[in-house]
Amino acid sequence: MSITTKRGGDKQGIVESRTTAQIWGKSALLGVILLWCLFPFFWLIMTSLKIGDRALNSPDLFQGPFGLQNYEAVFAQDFHLNLRNSLAIAGTTTILCVVIGSIAAYALARLPLKRKILLLSAVLAVSLFPPVALVPPLYELWRSLGLLNTWEGLYIPYTSFTLPLTIFILTTFFAAIPKDLEEAARVDGATPFKAFYRVIFPLAAPGVFAAAIIIFVQAWNEFLLASTFAPRDPEIAQTVPVAIAAFTGAVPFQRPIGTITAACVVVTIPMIIVALVFQKRIVAGLTAGSVKG
Amino acid sequence: MARRRGLSETALARVFVSPSIILMALVAAFPVIYAFVLSLQAYTRRIGEGWAGIDNYVEALSDERFWTSLQFTFIFTITSVAAEFVIGLGFALLMNQAFRGRGVTRAAILVPWVIPTVIAAQMWFFMFNVTPGFINSVFGLGNFNWLGQSGWATFAVIFADVWKTAPFVALLLLAGLQTIPGDVYESARVDGAKMFQRFWHITMPLLKPAILVALLFRTVEALRVYDLPQVMTGGAFDTESLSILVQQYIVLTPDPGYGSALSTITFILILGIGMIFVTLLGRDLVIGGEEER
Repeated sequence: MSITTKRGGDKQGIVESRTTAQIWGKSALLGVILLWCLFPFFWLIMTSLKIGDRALNSPDLFQGPFGLQNYEAVFAQDFHLNLRNSLAIAGTTTILCVVIGSIAAYALARLPLKRKILLLSAVLAVSLFPPVALVPPLYELWRSLGLLNTWEGLYIPYTSFTLPLTIFILTTFFAAIPKDLEEAARVDGATPFKAFYRVIFPLAAPGVFAAAIIIFVQAWNEFLLASTFAPRDPEIAQTVPVAIAAFTGAVPFQRPIGTITAACVVVTIPMIIVALVFQKRIVAGLTAGSVKG
Repeated sequence: MARRRGLSETALARVFVSPSIILMALVAAFPVIYAFVLSLQAYTRRIGEGWAGIDNYVEALSDERFWTSLQFTFIFTITSVAAEFVIGLGFALLMNQAFRGRGVTRAAILVPWVIPTVIAAQMWFFMFNVTPGFINSVFGLGNFNWLGQSGWATFAVIFADVWKTAPFVALLLLAGLQTIPGDVYESARVDGAKMFQRFWHITMPLLKPAILVALLFRTVEALRVYDLPQVMTGGAFDTESLSILVQQYIVLTPDPGYGSALSTITFILILGIGMIFVTLLGRDLVIGGEEER
């Protein structure tokens, strides 16, 4: 920039260079946020690559020897089965939530319905529920129904718990779609249901997708119900978080740092990629229910 | 004619909301009632011994362990939510101002949110732990035992939670900040308002709805805390949360009656605090929602 163009430009030059400095200063402060969010993962990756008991004995991140042995150990402990269980449970939860939640959200956003405020309050009340209140009664119930240690035993409560969030997010998205579109569809002779699934649902696809990612992440990360209803057996229903919390090593009473950090990296990297790729959608979804008022 | 049009809008609305209502009633509302019934029964391990009346509640409320876990839960909630709010607001203000690197930062800020809490817990467990002693080596603290003493163990758990959720709070507040039109600041600047004045008299009042919503959901979530203390300390050294306590009476020392009494108390407590928040900000929420229609 040619701001320092001799005399007349002096004053302006100072102002402008100050603002450029400010821009850079503020951007440098963003580095603090980046460090806060990302440094622990750098630590995690470096630790997971250390061989044997090196990881436990030296806090120095760059002190080897390094290798992939920990990753082999992870999969020797059936971690791929945990991944399968988590994928199935979180995937089923997502599908159920999107289907059931999107029609409810459409009714709340668009269709004539009595006691809408009451319904929304009930949904809000469920979203405030502490899941732990379900642990004793559902445990007894699942025990008598034979649903302990099954996929169903987990995705059923996950679905009902994630529904409120789904409904909030999707109601916002549906409400934002111009009304003329379905009216046009209705004039053309479409039934209310057709107007929904042919016109509105496809238009809300970005919102639905955002909701799906958020539901999936929440179901994937859940730990309390998973560790109570399916604490063991990767062959059956033990999920990833439960496995990561329960890894045992060769030395009794000592957590196997190598295996655990390696498993964490295996789980984290795909999730980080998803977060980065769908960043805009996720942010839109997360803020949809809350701040748009 | 009516046949060809399919379901009327009102009928369709009822059909659309009923699966959500049924599922939430069956898997959220019904178990709470069932828990209350269970809590009035006496048990020895899992064998029912008939009616107990309010004995379980009397026992719970006179149990030292209940009050200790209540105290931890409250300390955890107040401290972590306060810290997350301050740090999250700082992050949000920074990101709202900076020009360069905002996209990268916004992506990075999703990373702590997307990973399972159990992974964050394991990660910070090893970072705080005496071996390998990463945090101790960074701050030159020798063999300081963070996780092995009351007080500091609580600090470590709170720190891990703040790390994981402050970025999420930042995201919600940033969305709120971006709805504030820039010309409001411009005219304030013209009127000679200093930076702090602008923040206090413009930003904060306009951001109030976003702040209240973020605080509501964070508080309710913090009161449910389970994953972090369970994985980092196993509830030792005064870090047993209410959720951990309830879970213990279901799995480790099964007593469905007593466990249900504890879960019912927890439920009333958390829902009550949530409701206080909702009534406090209810008007903002409802007014905002009405305008959208």
